[in-house]
Amino acid sequence: MEILRTENLTKNFGGLTAVNRVNFVLEEGRLQSIIGPNGAGKSTFFKMISGEHVPSSGKIWFKGEDITGLSQHEISHKGIATSYQITNIFPKLTTFENVRIAVQSRKTTFNFWTRADRHDDLNEKTIRILETVGLMEKKDFLACNLPHGDQRHLEIAIALATDPILLLLDEPTAGLNPVETVETMELIKKISKGLSVILVEHKMKVIMNISETITVLHDGQVIAVGTPEEIQENETVRRVYLGGKRE
Amino acid sequence: MEKTSIVKRILIWASNHPLWMIILFFLIFPFIMPYKALATLILINGLFSLGFNILYGYTGLLSFGHAAYFGLGAYSVGILLSRFQTSIWTALLFSLIVSGVGSLIIGFFCLRRRGIYFALLNLAFAQMLYFIAFQWVSLTGGEVGLRNIPTPALQLPGFSIDIYSPLRFYYFTFIFVTIALIVLKRILDSPFGRVLEAIRENENRARAIGYHTNQVKWLSYIISGVFSGLAGGLYTLYMHFVGIEYLYWTTSGMVVMMTLLGGAGTFFGPFIGAGVYLYLEDIISIYTKHWMIFVGSIFFLCVLMFPEGIWGRVKSRIDRLKVS
Repeated sequence: MEILRTENLTKNFGGLTAVNRVNFVLEEGRLQSIIGPNGAGKSTFFKMISGEHVPSSGKIWFKGEDITGLSQHEISHKGIATSYQITNIFPKLTTFENVRIAVQSRKTTFNFWTRADRHDDLNEKTIRILETVGLMEKKDFLACNLPHGDQRHLEIAIALATDPILLLLDEPTAGLNPVETVETMELIKKISKGLSVILVEHKMKVIMNISETITVLHDGQVIAVGTPEEIQENETVRRVYLGGKRE
Repeated sequence: MEKTSIVKRILIWASNHPLWMIILFFLIFPFIMPYKALATLILINGLFSLGFNILYGYTGLLSFGHAAYFGLGAYSVGILLSRFQTSIWTALLFSLIVSGVGSLIIGFFCLRRRGIYFALLNLAFAQMLYFIAFQWVSLTGGEVGLRNIPTPALQLPGFSIDIYSPLRFYYFTFIFVTIALIVLKRILDSPFGRVLEAIRENENRARAIGYHTNQVKWLSYIISGVFSGLAGGLYTLYMHFVGIEYLYWTTSGMVVMMTLLGGAGTFFGPFIGAGVYLYLEDIISIYTKHWMIFVGSIFFLCVLMFPEGIWGRVKSRIDRLKVS
């Protein structure tokens, strides 16, 4: 069953067309990657799905429902979560609270009278997620004091805490060293079980290792779709992106 | 050694129970101040700063127009007592309603914009109210304000009591401030309070994880307005007078200064800020009418040396004690 479909999805910024008539399909439970050079429109594509940008034209279907133009918080409640390329956490809150507030979003906003730290169901779920991403020992650290690698994992944890059906991972290994990159790759494999995932990455090793299908964007347009092997063999892709350059 | 550890333990206990500490402190407060009226003034202005702090310190929204809600509360009580001869309870209830409705409407428009535009839209609305009050002489007394506001006795079940001696009025205010503090503490510790902090830290991400941040900010704005309105209403009862300057931008500036001085985003900070500000005003204005120069300089130095405010600085010291 397909979970996400975009139809001629387009975004113009003034004269610039960042995303140009993209047709994209994701099957439920799959992990699909998007690659492409800088400025290919990958992040803009994500921001349209998550509701941060309103598409200039085209449609987005999620679980058979048209979600084009819904606001960000509505789309979050439909079950789509983003982990951002540029770390987007709550810097002066603890690691625990960063995740707890995301868990809380599924339950309540306008509760004025109970104590937030005494909702055991929320606390337990927070602990489970912190254990999954390996941040339990640092739960009382302020998020801004975590090392970069941990912040990247917290970034994923916040997205995961909202119980997504579809997870959008925008360069989860950005700025990580090779060891951390491998760790994060393992984490992604672990959490993506039972979820549908779209992954944007620059590191070819990561992409080739964990993707089932790869979509290649160039100048806002899809130039190829296929398995990792097919993409590596594809002449157009080699020319515009892989370009003989190897990692 | 023994002695320092006791001090340390008391400090830690105090910082873990800020609410009880404040209430206890305010219970004896009028007896440690040079005169009781100053204690009342600090309490009322502290309440105003507390209301402002909900919006600025906890939600991260800086308003340059909070005089609007202080003024709406003050005029509500003034007008009801002097033009309609209502009871104190009715007048105070109206100060809450009017400032609440005012912040509901003005907040709706101001929250369309962020940052400096938000701050200045607030200023614009507050100045509009100022000019309305200035022109509408039959209701507000215009430039002169409302003078000689009646001082009815406070009606309680079965009896009534005169509250206008300095000490009685202090404890009358104390009761309202205590209720306000308890309510505010509950709100800040609640799931809703956590959403406010998340918005202050990163509104973008708060929206991305599914919070309707515009609604939350709007509600925070209204709560802030109602607290400020209550402070305005109490101030009128205390002064038997409403001045047009309550609505003027200098009042908005004053509450920003008090809050920053004491420590934005801390629970007790606004009262410290109000206390330091008014105490300095009280002392320095004996010697010169240009007291504002000195208060301004001290504010300037404070912001440069400890931008987290006086209480913010003390608190971070205590937190370090706790760790060690």
